Amino acid sequence: MTVSMDPGVRRDDRRSFSRAILGLCALLLAFVSGITTAAAHPHVFVAARSELLYATDGTITGVRHAWTFDDMFSTYALQGLATKTPGVYTREDLAPLAQTNVESLQEYKFFTFAKANGKKEHFNEPVDYYLEKTDAGLTLHFTLPFKTPVKTKQLALEVFDPSYFIDFSLEKTDPIKLVGAPASCTMGIQRPSDGGAAKAQTMNEDTFMNGENSNFGAMFANKVTVDCP
Amino acid sequence: MSKSRAVAGAALVALACVVIADASVHAAFAQNPFGAPKGVPDSQVGGIIGWLLTKQSEFYRAMSTTIRAAKSDGSAVWTLLGISFLYGIFHAAGPGHGKAVISSYLVANEETAKRGIALSFVSAFMQALVAVLIVGIGAWLLNVTARTMCSTERVIEIASYGLIAAFGARLVWVKGRGFFRALRPSLKTGGPQLAMAHASAHAHSHSRDHGHDHHHHEHGHAHAHTAHAEAHAHAHHHHAHDDHCDHCGHSHGPTPDQLAGPGGWWRGLSAVLTVGIRPCSGAILVLVFALAQGLFWAGIAATFVMGLGTAITVATIAVIAVSAKGLAARLAGSRDGRGALVMRGIELGAAGIVLVFGVGLLLGYLGTEPVRCF
Repeated sequence: MTVSMDPGVRRDDRRSFSRAILGLCALLLAFVSGITTAAAHPHVFVAARSELLYATDGTITGVRHAWTFDDMFSTYALQGLATKTPGVYTREDLAPLAQTNVESLQEYKFFTFAKANGKKEHFNEPVDYYLEKTDAGLTLHFTLPFKTPVKTKQLALEVFDPSYFIDFSLEKTDPIKLVGAPASCTMGIQRPSDGGAAKAQTMNEDTFMNGENSNFGAMFANKVTVDCP
Repeated sequence: MSKSRAVAGAALVALACVVIADASVHAAFAQNPFGAPKGVPDSQVGGIIGWLLTKQSEFYRAMSTTIRAAKSDGSAVWTLLGISFLYGIFHAAGPGHGKAVISSYLVANEETAKRGIALSFVSAFMQALVAVLIVGIGAWLLNVTARTMCSTERVIEIASYGLIAAFGARLVWVKGRGFFRALRPSLKTGGPQLAMAHASAHAHSHSRDHGHDHHHHEHGHAHAHTAHAEAHAHAHHHHAHDDHCDHCGHSHGPTPDQLAGPGGWWRGLSAVLTVGIRPCSGAILVLVFALAQGLFWAGIAATFVMGLGTAITVATIAVIAVSAKGLAARLAGSRDGRGALVMRGIELGAAGIVLVFGVGLLLGYLGTEPVRCF
């Protein structure tokens, strides 16, 4: 017979085969997934204003948000909503929508992530929620009480959508207020645009150790830190 | 025993593929957001990605202002269409829109670039149509709330993911069989059998030289009819082949002409269906907004123009994928016999991608632009 190969050669062949196939698999996957994850972009834009609420003894009890949605989403959200006077949206008219909003936001952990001295803090169900329609758009007001109010040297608060469907940006003026905080507390705000590569790297570890998979939006997070020595 | 070894080896390769898939998906997620300096609208996100993001956000936000402007100034509709077209092109480069599924489907099958383009356009058109139908029926006819529409969108989204996974599973099944068929003879242990299998492979490659393209038929029956193969190897190649197929025709995968026929188109359309039923949430927002401004028709026009832009991007990527496969085929083809195995391997890999994507999307593991309802 013309061909008879010795087993050693065949094994080599087989290995190079597998390697070639693996290489091609890898290439293809890198190609496809690279393209696919290239650029999610937000469909909803929120201008956020938040207040950190302190008790008299200096413990932090919760966060009060006021989120103003962009024109397009505000209009979208009002679709199909019955009002007493057409075109006029009172707080009562908007109450069912506000209810829906806060209930649904639960699923996304209210896009609000807090850490006291590096430890993750949890929130109770929101209270005092309502919607307001102004010329700027629809504004959702709600307060998130901490499950356990904390007294902490350092509090870090982040507001972002991990999947970046919603773009959160802090209002230009006075986006964060400390309400009733001890006078010694100082506050620092990092907006997505003033982070550097170094910060992005620390965030990398942080966000991936949390075990959240699609944390794309983390790089657009707004981070507030409050130090109370 | 040798058979089980072959299967084990092949399973290992498949497993490795999945592991790589997993790793590369992770890597993609890890690299893009964090490899580059962060910051969005003011172009601090590095390179192409940052630019894409910035442009998309610009176009998207410009759409609402343009629709508002169109209320008083009709010519703004043209601006709207221009923006929508560009937005479609840019936006489709992001997640969703079926690039991965369509490209992988094309690579997994004997598909041409031309069909890739056609399928891309059909899927983009379908996505636009579904968006228009949801808003047309939901908001315009029934005046349901945004929440209801969004929930509908979500149900469709999950259905789409499920279909992608099912479609991927089917592809993996078909392509996996093809791959193992191709693999078996080359892994067969035992001297004489291998020698004969090899001889038959020889015969085939020879017959191909004579212009008989039996691409899909090789290997599968090589060792089952080794005696024949040997007998015919030097004599009557073509005839030998026909003999085989009398016995084993039933076990073959689809042949190129079957794929090109109407059944092939149908199969292609089922690939398109899996991704086409999921509308772009951006389009739905634009449509509802246009409806609220009393310019629903402009919203519909914008949605279809957006779809056109999307189709161009998806088609471009599909053509790149098909060409890449063609290149791989040429490279692998130079080593006769095993070239087929490499190609079957690529096809299996591509089928695996569809499956991994579908399952990943379904489990929320790949959160590529999921719809947020609130």
